[in-house]
Amino acid sequence: MTGNALTAAAGKAAAATGTAPVLRLHEVRKEFGGHAALDGVSLEVAEGEVVVVVGPSGSGKSTLVRCVHQLEDIDAGAIYLDGELLGYERHRGGLRPLTPRGVAAQRRRIGMVFQQFHLFPHFTALRNVTEAPVRVHGRSRADAEREAMELLDRVGLRDHAHHYPRQLSGGQQQRVAIARALATRPRVMLFDEPTSALDPELVEEVLTVLRGLAADGLTMIVVTHEMAFAREVADRCVFMEAGRIVEAGPPAEFFGRPQSPRLRAFLSRHTAPGRTPE
Amino acid sequence: MTAAAVAPEHLGTDDVATSRRRVRPWRWVTGAVLAVLAAQVLAFLVGNERFEWDVVAQYLFEPSVLAGVGTTVLLAVLAMAIGSAVGGALAAAQLSDFGPVRWAATLYVGVFRGIPPLVQLIFWFNLAYLVPRISIGIPFGPTLVSWDANEVITPFTAGVIGLSLVESAYMAEIIRAGVLGVDLGQREAARAMGFTPAQTFFRIVLPQAMRVIIPPSGSQFISVLKGTALVSVIAMSDLLHAVQVIYNRTYQIVPMLIVACIWYLALVTVLTAGQRRLERRFARGHERPTGVRRPAAANPVEVDR
Repeated sequence: MTGNALTAAAGKAAAATGTAPVLRLHEVRKEFGGHAALDGVSLEVAEGEVVVVVGPSGSGKSTLVRCVHQLEDIDAGAIYLDGELLGYERHRGGLRPLTPRGVAAQRRRIGMVFQQFHLFPHFTALRNVTEAPVRVHGRSRADAEREAMELLDRVGLRDHAHHYPRQLSGGQQQRVAIARALATRPRVMLFDEPTSALDPELVEEVLTVLRGLAADGLTMIVVTHEMAFAREVADRCVFMEAGRIVEAGPPAEFFGRPQSPRLRAFLSRHTAPGRTPE
Repeated sequence: MTAAAVAPEHLGTDDVATSRRRVRPWRWVTGAVLAVLAAQVLAFLVGNERFEWDVVAQYLFEPSVLAGVGTTVLLAVLAMAIGSAVGGALAAAQLSDFGPVRWAATLYVGVFRGIPPLVQLIFWFNLAYLVPRISIGIPFGPTLVSWDANEVITPFTAGVIGLSLVESAYMAEIIRAGVLGVDLGQREAARAMGFTPAQTFFRIVLPQAMRVIIPPSGSQFISVLKGTALVSVIAMSDLLHAVQVIYNRTYQIVPMLIVACIWYLALVTVLTAGQRRLERRFARGHERPTGVRRPAAANPVEVDR
């Protein structure tokens, strides 16, 4: 796709000219009961870049995006959004945790799509999308609804705006969840295995939406098991195992000439033989 | 059993649509027994003149009885309102990640749920013995205002305090269970969207918890309403006390108790209807999906680029 090629080029150009990355993780560490879920992860995401994270389950890929969104507190290292340290503020020459209010303000600049959708069941699809713009960003309801209808149209659900989540299929719920995350106009969108909870025939409708967002130049981190999608849409693929980034690179090299034996083994297990590159 | 597949003998003439109802003898027996019991109860109510239905009719709308009904309703509503508000705060405290707040709330619930309400009412009514003056001031410092406890603790305030304390302990448990019943993902999604903790609780978690909270709260309201009868022991002029005053004078104990029963049943019936309405209100989004609304494949994705 030309759109992707352009975005990729833009991302690399930004990186080349030294533009500050939108998101920067520096030696991030996160432990769960003595086990290191993230073991010193560093990653930079440029404006408009699409980073796809793959790896076996338990490798720390979900923890990575959850830490970026401060749903988990990191134990060491630092995460910056547009150069601003996430979750902490400078105080008397050191760092101290932000107030819940301060954390909420930072979260507003990051969008998150969950594996299990987590739509609010007591609101209609439309209200799910408008709730944050109205309550958090203080926009007028009429304004928010107009914009929400555009977003629902973009994910192909304009006609379902007044349905409750229970009345929607899994794929439709996930598309509403994407519209809901977009409604706050985030700097970065995080997708935590957005298609893993879906019936196989519903996966494609969600991936189609993701392709569209990537083509529009949205900065995204996508954790997924969909290898074909990763190869097609990613500007950069990241392979994680045991809480570390083992290998990262543009999809052509990542899938075509994997360097580490672990990635080679992983790819041979997760890609169909017919799709193995030349 | 024969293994060979044989064509059914009456194929072509059998049709279940022409079948008759099956006679179910035990249902007839059960129905007959219930009918006899109902007739007996009715005969007892009508035939036993000691019920003195004319006296019941005479006193049902007696001004002092109506005043008692009003007091009972006022007490129940106050106790429920204060109990729910304090109970909500206690539930939040019990779910706090700050230990001392959690322990204080747990202790409160344990104490006020653990002592019989009747004992608590008598205790509060006699508070003046323990605390002769009630003062507001700086702890261990100067006093700003102060009242005589005997003037503040009337039967009414003792009743409201006692019933509210008991109610708040029960409501705390009900609300806590409701909040815990809401999927953790809901809280995460709300936080992810930048809601503050308070917004997350009041806009997302509580409305969903209400579905679980309302049915037991309804039962709780009903038991408070009946529990108000306890205040008659501290000479509070509630419904029971009002009829007691009359039968102490006339000795028509049974008919006066029937008057009280009729009013209690009437109030509880109204409350139950209100509870059903509230349950429907908070069931939003949880109705069973109707057949029309799952066009999974029929709705191809359109994405504009």
